[in-house]
Amino acid sequence: MANDREVLREIWDGKLPICFQLAQEEIMEIQQPDPFYVMVPRLSYFPLVTDKMKRHFLRFISQENADNEMWLDYNGQPLKWHYPIGFLYDLYCGIDPQLPWTLTVHFTKFPEDVLLHCPNKDVVEAHYMSTVKEADVLKHRGQVMSTMQKKDHNQLWLGLQNDKFDQFWAINRRLMESHGDNEGFKHIPIRIYSDDGSCFQRLVSPKNVDGSRKVLQQMIAELYPDKINIKLRTHGITLPLDTPLQWLSEHMSYPDNFLHLCVC
Amino acid sequence: MSSSSSLLFSINNEGKVYALSTSGSCWREFMYLGLEFKTLSAVPHYLWAVGGDRQIYLHVHGLEIPIRVKEESYENERWLPLEGFSGRLLPTDRYHFSSQDGTKDRSIDRIRLPSMAWQWEGDWQLELTLDGQPLDHDGWSYAVDFPAHFSPVKQWKSCVRRRKWIRYRKFSAMNSWCAIAPLHKDPTQEPFIDVSIGGNEIPYASPGTLSVWAITAHGRVMYRAGVSTVSPEGLKWINVSIPPNCDIKQISVGPTGLVWALLWTGRAIVRKGVTKDCPNGDGWLEVKSPSETKLSVISVGYNAVWAVGSDTRVWFRKGIDGNLAGSSEAAAMGNGWLEITGHMIHISVGKNDQVFAIGDTDKCIYWRSGITQSELTGKRWRMVQANMQLSRTSSSASVVSSASNAKHHSLTTLSETTPELKSNIHLHNSWEESHSAPIEHTLPVKPKDRRPKGNTNVENIDLTGKSYETTLKNPRAWSPVRSVGSVVGMEAQPDSDSSVFDVDSGMYFDEEVSQTAWGTCDTTWAFVEAGACSMDTVQVPHWFTDNQNAHNSDLNTKWRVQILENLKTRNQIQDIDLTNYGIAIEEKGWTRSCEARLVCANNTFEDSILSLYWHALENIGTLSVFQPDGTIKFILNLGEVTSVFTSSEPGCPRITMLVPRQLRDGIKVQFISEMEQEEWFSVLVDITSQINGLSGKPSPNSIWAITNLGDIINWDPMAAQLNTEYNGSYKKEFQVFGKDIMSGFSTNLNNNFLPGSTLKITGSLSDDIKRFHINLQGPEIKKQRHKIELEVTDIPLHFNVRFDESIVVCNSKSFGNWGVEERHPLPLAQGQEFSVTIVSESKGFKIVVNDKSYCFFEHRLNPENITSISVQGPLKLYTMDYCTTSVIIDPEEMIWRVMGGYLRRIESCQNGIIWGISHDHRAWVYTGGWGGGILKAIGSNEGINPMTDTQTYCVYENQRWNPLSGYTSTGLPTDRYMWSDITGRHKRTREHTKLLGRHWHWISEWMIDYNTPGGVDNDGWQYATDFPAPYHGKKIFTDCVRRRRWYRKAQIVTEGPWLRAGSTALLDISLWNNGEDVTVWAITLGGEAIYRTGVTANTPAGVHWEHVNSPQSFIAISTCNYMIWAVGRKGELYYRDGSSKENISGSSWKLIETPKCNTPFNPKSSVGVKCVSLTKYSAWVLLSNGLISVRTDITQEHHDGKHWKYLTDSEMTFKDVSSIEHEVWAVCTDGTLYRRLGVTAENPTGSVWQRVHSGPTVHVTARGSLLE
Repeated sequence: MANDREVLREIWDGKLPICFQLAQEEIMEIQQPDPFYVMVPRLSYFPLVTDKMKRHFLRFISQENADNEMWLDYNGQPLKWHYPIGFLYDLYCGIDPQLPWTLTVHFTKFPEDVLLHCPNKDVVEAHYMSTVKEADVLKHRGQVMSTMQKKDHNQLWLGLQNDKFDQFWAINRRLMESHGDNEGFKHIPIRIYSDDGSCFQRLVSPKNVDGSRKVLQQMIAELYPDKINIKLRTHGITLPLDTPLQWLSEHMSYPDNFLHLCVC
Repeated sequence: MSSSSSLLFSINNEGKVYALSTSGSCWREFMYLGLEFKTLSAVPHYLWAVGGDRQIYLHVHGLEIPIRVKEESYENERWLPLEGFSGRLLPTDRYHFSSQDGTKDRSIDRIRLPSMAWQWEGDWQLELTLDGQPLDHDGWSYAVDFPAHFSPVKQWKSCVRRRKWIRYRKFSAMNSWCAIAPLHKDPTQEPFIDVSIGGNEIPYASPGTLSVWAITAHGRVMYRAGVSTVSPEGLKWINVSIPPNCDIKQISVGPTGLVWALLWTGRAIVRKGVTKDCPNGDGWLEVKSPSETKLSVISVGYNAVWAVGSDTRVWFRKGIDGNLAGSSEAAAMGNGWLEITGHMIHISVGKNDQVFAIGDTDKCIYWRSGITQSELTGKRWRMVQANMQLSRTSSSASVVSSASNAKHHSLTTLSETTPELKSNIHLHNSWEESHSAPIEHTLPVKPKDRRPKGNTNVENIDLTGKSYETTLKNPRAWSPVRSVGSVVGMEAQPDSDSSVFDVDSGMYFDEEVSQTAWGTCDTTWAFVEAGACSMDTVQVPHWFTDNQNAHNSDLNTKWRVQILENLKTRNQIQDIDLTNYGIAIEEKGWTRSCEARLVCANNTFEDSILSLYWHALENIGTLSVFQPDGTIKFILNLGEVTSVFTSSEPGCPRITMLVPRQLRDGIKVQFISEMEQEEWFSVLVDITSQINGLSGKPSPNSIWAITNLGDIINWDPMAAQLNTEYNGSYKKEFQVFGKDIMSGFSTNLNNNFLPGSTLKITGSLSDDIKRFHINLQGPEIKKQRHKIELEVTDIPLHFNVRFDESIVVCNSKSFGNWGVEERHPLPLAQGQEFSVTIVSESKGFKIVVNDKSYCFFEHRLNPENITSISVQGPLKLYTMDYCTTSVIIDPEEMIWRVMGGYLRRIESCQNGIIWGISHDHRAWVYTGGWGGGILKAIGSNEGINPMTDTQTYCVYENQRWNPLSGYTSTGLPTDRYMWSDITGRHKRTREHTKLLGRHWHWISEWMIDYNTPGGVDNDGWQYATDFPAPYHGKKIFTDCVRRRRWYRKAQIVTEGPWLRAGSTALLDISLWNNGEDVTVWAITLGGEAIYRTGVTANTPAGVHWEHVNSPQSFIAISTCNYMIWAVGRKGELYYRDGSSKENISGSSWKLIETPKCNTPFNPKSSVGVKCVSLTKYSAWVLLSNGLISVRTDITQEHHDGKHWKYLTDSEMTFKDVSSIEHEVWAVCTDGTLYRRLGVTAENPTGSVWQRVHSGPTVHVTARGSLLE
């Protein structure tokens, strides 16, 4: 069970300073818009935190584009809104931290082939809930999510959306419990990303064949038998290789219940 | 440390005994005394074992207060002509010294100690009270004849008299091995091979019952008669016959008294007919073994029997039912064997049918996980992996070091553990007494190892070492051969000591030494005993490294420290100025709504929709209540809510909110489901606390109260005090603008009008004003005159402005009569603005009109009694400011916060130490946290611990006799309900008794109560001539009705900021502190007075209980300023004589004159006392008729005070009172909470009750208050 509150709280409080700049081609006014500075929770998603920024830039763009879907890029790389912000930062800037993280805001030329559309926050919620469900299927054969009530799901989402740690963890702790007599999850919901953004997902058990706790190093050896010296990064830190996977999953998963690890 | 932990015992392959605490993670070795052990059997606190010398030993441990037994003897005398009263009685009379009913000879010179394990506590004493009435110092009570009603007064017809002698004896062999006498003179003639203790949960048996069975080497089965928690060693062995050709090798007694025995042939036999009346059963039944299996070990639980075969296979016996095992053969034998996976060599069933076993190959101990009442076979075996404390008894150095610990005394110092130092002569005496103990075949023993008087400590150590040496060389010197209950080895600490079994103080070793000696060494176990071990399957002990609890050990691992460090440093961004970064997620107001029902005063409902709006940044919250059609009913500002608490009834989840400014009785809401109620409750408590800036630990001077549903509520005066203080005076502005004055406006000052107080009123007069007046008045007092009740209000100042007569009249009114008028010229004109200031000075009131000094009115009545102000006349008020010297507490501004947890009583003192007592009499201490249970989302988890409490539900089954069919449940039409509560007025049935909520669950079935006061027959019935009449247990022929009590226990599982303190069951507790110095006195469930040592602000739970001898049993206690008052069971009051700062325990209990309560409302003469609250100079005493009386003039010289005073201002009756200094709070019988105003040194009874919380509350403590 995830009860190392100190670690959970530290992860929850992780924030990134971001500097949004409107793409030059969007600017229709003579006056240059000021960049928009904001502290963003690492665990959140861009569509949840960009309302104000969008309003800030709207008056500088052509009115015919005002209803277009906004999207962001970092160094020309479109940012996928359905990944947590902190993960995106680790992916693109993890090796070479650059703060504030300067992102460019676009209202035109939506990269249809790279990004999913996100017309409103309900879509984010739907995507988020489906990811939590997927994680629960891996952990408990989906038994926890299916026994939860609609309002529990709601509380989980609202907790994340409104940055309420206690509200979120009141529900999420149930997802992080081991069930029945099994100590540990059935499988660890884990996604590992290469620096090019490609994702890699396998069934990973929290235990070794002999029943002992599997640590990160052992998983790496299984997944990358030919590579050595692989380091994994998440939440802005490099993970010690002797961390048990079960603990890692309970404490260092993103709110969508997945461990998003970047290879570096 | 939690003393609620229990112990798992085991023996390793060397025969050494180890214990593992459920709250620890390390095996601790019992001190090795040169004696190995073969088998063990345990129930909590009592351990029986077979030693390597094949003799039986007993070990009593972990009890916080000593086992004490009161021996009583009645001395009877008859009046004879010429001689007067003498011990010469008639031949038909009872013995000169007898038991209470006269049937047994109880000559006090023949009452001996049962064994050497006991010691007398003081000498024979006379009991000097009878039913709470003091007797003369010879203690005689008189009667017409035996047996008759005895009274304290001698009359002309008194022909007999008697007095009661009492003497206490104490079990002094606590925490040491104590040998039980062998069966024959030569102990080697018939040694023992097995022993088993159980029977602590025999259905319906009286509490404390235990049963012990043993097997001798000759194959005989012995039952130990007379074993109970107050007689741990029992009386004697009784041979129980066994079927022919049965050669028994092992025996096991379950908690229900069920006995299974194993034969050498591998078959099992079961004892049938074991009931509370026949604890050794009435016959044997044979059970078929699993096919082709010889059983080698068997263990009996409550609803389970487990066995292992000689081929190490594990078997579970299906169909055992512990409750019915005494009456049904099938329930005792079960109906089939079920093989369980695993290979074990030994097995033991503990509490709640939890199973432990020893593995065949690795000789490790395993716990069967997943055992529940519905799944008794469990799921899988989990290895117990606890560290091992290395055996150090092989090193003589360690023996010395342990002996040098002041806690440890050798046997030879045993007699010195009593307060007075006793010489070896006394030891000899006590042996002499034990010699005559009622046990057969006891050999006389020579007191061994006598030491000369006055040994120093150093010699003591030496001697201990020597005697230890002796042990090895000549084990017989220590063998049990010599006497019954002789004490083997060392005592860990004299008398009661819970710390011995605490987790982190070494069991028998110095902390320092034991630290170094810890280690993991592989031990091979030979024996495990779980009978005393209660596993919490929800929160399993830290014994397993293969489970989720393992993360606790993760806390200090390198990787975890590294992760946390990295996480903390990742946000340190040095070179960016973050001030111009906005916050991405803004705090917004939010709303929540649900359908619910408003519960109205007459218990009708109104469907409504609740809608809550809360904006955290603006700190604004409102609760809107709509009709189902959406029209608004009312909107409540949550800032006006002073208290939120649960008020559920079975099946009706409810919350009550108090809004004293709007409604007298508050708002009661019933929710659709419990889940919804809990969520709303948590949210409402959270919001109201935030609005009022309340969080975390309240100030030490808080008032604590408990609602009728066990919610703990707290009012912290700090906020109120700080807000209003200004240069040492306290000011309050009343909201008067726009109030209707024509019909009179009056407001409570919530204080008095002592010199130094001022009141300033501004306003404007209407054009046609004729008269107006301002009254400073006292409380409404009900007076009874000629059976007519009048409401009378005293008016110390009446300021009447009469424009029609062009004068001002000042006057006063007392007892309904106006005094002499003082007249002054008119200072005001109609239609003008005005200001009137009234200043209370020591001699009288100075009245200032329009800022000019106007007149002076001398005090006629004490301004202390002024509690309210009233203004009447055609004028408009602008402001009304009241300023006084002490804190003004307006109940409308008292915010009560629910703290979390579930308790029955609570007690505080002025440095913030809070103790509570739950319904099951367990003691808890406040951790400083806030929340838990259904307040989950509130506060942090700091200090929040699991809590349970048990309550017993009772229903009475009533029957009436009729000539045709005997007793039936058809009563007369006028009779009570045939299933009822104790009064008979309310219908109660077993089927309709429901639990309060989802956190409650039943932990028993409905059972007949065989311990109903008054006595019962074999079926639990008690008889009477009619309803309601005194009930008795034996049917006599005039009896026409009978009843019996059924009970069922329910448990609540919750959380709260509370931690168990001590394992002793308490009835009452009292705290008092003098700065850092805290005294804690309590009454145990058995009625004994105890005090706690080592209580400080940092260790509020203290260290252990010290016991104070008391001839009486008590029900309540209160302490203040090193004085102690206690209430006896019969309602009599005692104080502890000789107690002082230097000698907290004092010397003896002395009786205090009982209050004679002659109020006009209740002309009963003498009534008993229910509870007491002692302050430095007075004691507030609640009487059994609900009235309160005050003992005054208490001083250090006169702990018992001098005078009784009674409250005469109201006829309210109360159920609880708590006072400290001049602060007195009480709970009215209807549950309303009141505070006493006007209590001063001169007026110790105060002037009026101020209603502060409309409840229902059941208990309050103001002992932390420091308002004055």
